[in-house]
Amino acid sequence: MTFWETVTGSDLTREYKAFEVRAKALPADYREAWEQIKLHLTPYGDFTGRNLMPILDGALGLLEETAGEGQSVHEVLGADIKGFCAALAGGEESRDFRDRWRRQLNRNVARKLGQLGG
Amino acid sequence: MDDLTEMLKGTLEGCVLEIISGEETYGYAITRRLNELGFTDVVEGTVYTILLRLERNGLVEVTKKPSGMGPPRKFYALNDAGREELGRFWVKWQYLSSRIDKLKEGGR
Repeated sequence: MTFWETVTGSDLTREYKAFEVRAKALPADYREAWEQIKLHLTPYGDFTGRNLMPILDGALGLLEETAGEGQSVHEVLGADIKGFCAALAGGEESRDFRDRWRRQLNRNVARKLGQLGG
Repeated sequence: MDDLTEMLKGTLEGCVLEIISGEETYGYAITRRLNELGFTDVVEGTVYTILLRLERNGLVEVTKKPSGMGPPRKFYALNDAGREELGRFWVKWQYLSSRIDKLKEGGR
């Protein structure tokens, strides 16, 4: 990642476009699932969504692989796409909104206490 | 047995470790193996998230191999840490199942 890319996020746009090109090649039911996956992963994104890129890449890879095997998307993901996304995002790399709020709150409280000389 | 997957969730990671310990294998084959065992609700997506976690925790070695169709497949094999984890899983499972059996028999 270059400095320019870090500031503008231009690499993300490029990566995202590449994902969409790959997704277009999938069967219709898989494309629908891909839309769902993106939707349900959004809450786990950080400010730029950079942390989601490897996760999306992996999920798309799974879709490509299983579509190639001729399975239906329901056989692959079941009914609980939301749960699938939560499991995907689980782990240290992706923090959800709640964690961020908690961190922010902790920081603010610490600062206030610091000002009071506590 | 519809709600079996719920009960299975906590132990599924151990099941996947056990399946991989037999021989190097890939997601689809692992899912099929679990389906054959009677866990019909388990889908490849579930196995995929478990494999991700195993990979993240450094318990498996991953190699990409070309498949007949589609993109290359990821194959998984246990490393030493994975074998240790599998050992711990069976100890815990033994403990859990013996306690639950005891409870059912009404023993103390």
